[in-house]
Amino acid sequence: MADGLREFLERVFVRGQNPFVNNYAINRLRPPGAVDERRFMGLCIRCNRCLEVCPYGSIKRAGVGPPMGTPYVFPEQKACYLCMACCRLCPTGALDAHLRNPEKAVMGKAKIDPSICYSHLFLDRDKVPQGAKQKIGALCNTCYNVCPLQDKAITLKGNLFPVVLDGCVGCGICTERCPTRPRRAINVIPSGMGRVDEAGFYFGKARRHHDSAVSRAEKPSSGALKGEELLDRKYKIDGSRDASDFQFPYETSDQIEGWD
Amino acid sequence: MYRRYRRASQIAVFALMFAVPVLNLYEIYAITGTFYAINIGGLGIADPVVILQAMFAAGELTVPLLSAAIFPVLLALLLGRVWCGWMCPYHLLSDVACAARLAAATRILKKAEPASPAVKRSFSANMWRFGFLLVGTAAAGAIGIPVLNYLSAPGITSTEAMIFVKERTFSLEIGFIAVLLCLEFTLIPRFWCRFFCPTGAFLSLFRSSFTLRIVSETKNPAVPCCKESPCLSACPMGLQPYREGGNLLCTNCARCIDACPHQRLKFDGFLTARPR
Repeated sequence: MADGLREFLERVFVRGQNPFVNNYAINRLRPPGAVDERRFMGLCIRCNRCLEVCPYGSIKRAGVGPPMGTPYVFPEQKACYLCMACCRLCPTGALDAHLRNPEKAVMGKAKIDPSICYSHLFLDRDKVPQGAKQKIGALCNTCYNVCPLQDKAITLKGNLFPVVLDGCVGCGICTERCPTRPRRAINVIPSGMGRVDEAGFYFGKARRHHDSAVSRAEKPSSGALKGEELLDRKYKIDGSRDASDFQFPYETSDQIEGWD
Repeated sequence: MYRRYRRASQIAVFALMFAVPVLNLYEIYAITGTFYAINIGGLGIADPVVILQAMFAAGELTVPLLSAAIFPVLLALLLGRVWCGWMCPYHLLSDVACAARLAAATRILKKAEPASPAVKRSFSANMWRFGFLLVGTAAAGAIGIPVLNYLSAPGITSTEAMIFVKERTFSLEIGFIAVLLCLEFTLIPRFWCRFFCPTGAFLSLFRSSFTLRIVSETKNPAVPCCKESPCLSACPMGLQPYREGGNLLCTNCARCIDACPHQRLKFDGFLTARPR
């Protein structure tokens, strides 16, 4: 409570922000097609039409606080499956009504935490995670397998471990399915999140991605794929495309542990 | 005789509030939304106060925003505040609370009490409402979020209905409705609709010379035409219907028409354009 108050005061008086309209948290996303957070908070009239129409029940209503009543997606519970049904229905344009192409959504950007991710742990031979007695890890790659924009949003570097690419729209399906507990190894940083201390290196990337995607989204959506075209595109998705340029960065040794 | 139609209309809208999320659960999306903004077969209708706030909060004016507010404004121009008297789900709840108050007063406390305390000056009630609307809109523009949405009784009521149907639970905002109803039951009946409701205040701004209103057919409408004046205690807005049929507070609920023993009160407006 005291921390919250201090942060509130700091934002108003030190950083000069409007504390009512800049609320970001990791793994708390706006529905796809949401405009810039500041405009969104003004335009969203809390009619909850997006929430009613969401066929997956992904969109939840925010509780007490400045964003009370506005829609959020909490990918740890239920991710957005990018059906884009909510965008069409928004009465005020808080969600871009012309957005049909899921690839142009700007919900956020996924970030992998290599200290938890099973695939990264598996490759990092010497690393024993905190609290664990022995090395754990597996070639899990669930995030890659479930991603709806495979090889655009996420790729397997050398067919071994997942790396998030610039095409990530932040739907959070990877976060929903990530097997690590209690924390997920892959989390989504919402678009426009200004907390450099939380977003770290990936913040700049997320910001650039957001800006470019917003400028893309503002153009008329002529690139929306439908019917046959969409099917063709889906058939063309090929997992082996980006898989060649991986260099194995680890030293190999002739001796194998436990082998006599 | 209007009472029956009014109740039917109110109950139909109240049922619609629950029917919309039920239909949506069965993936029928012909009607979606809550009473903040509803979409009926492609026709977008939004609470004009909500639109007004969105305009100020986001600092922009777009065609979809404006077109959503046209229908309620048109309805208010032609028929007056019929949204409040004939449709608003909160008004129905308030009707129930005030009927319970009246029943409690007559049966338990053994004293007759009018449905609403007669307010001599409807002017002050109107000033309260418009002041509240003005302050709320200014606040929405200042802090960048539509704050009056948190105080919109019909919007919250329908949102709670939607949450109840979808998730079998209520959110915290239902406490606001409960507090309002408790206050109307115990202290001041109809205080929210009369002194605060921003939606009602904004809709009543569109009352014009051809809007449906209540007129008295007596020679001198300035004074009560009979001693009992049942219309006075019938009016939920605390008006004097023989005199103030065209007041901004009037919701055209026709309670006074039903109450008048001499059938001297009538609807008048664009329907019955008469030379004056």
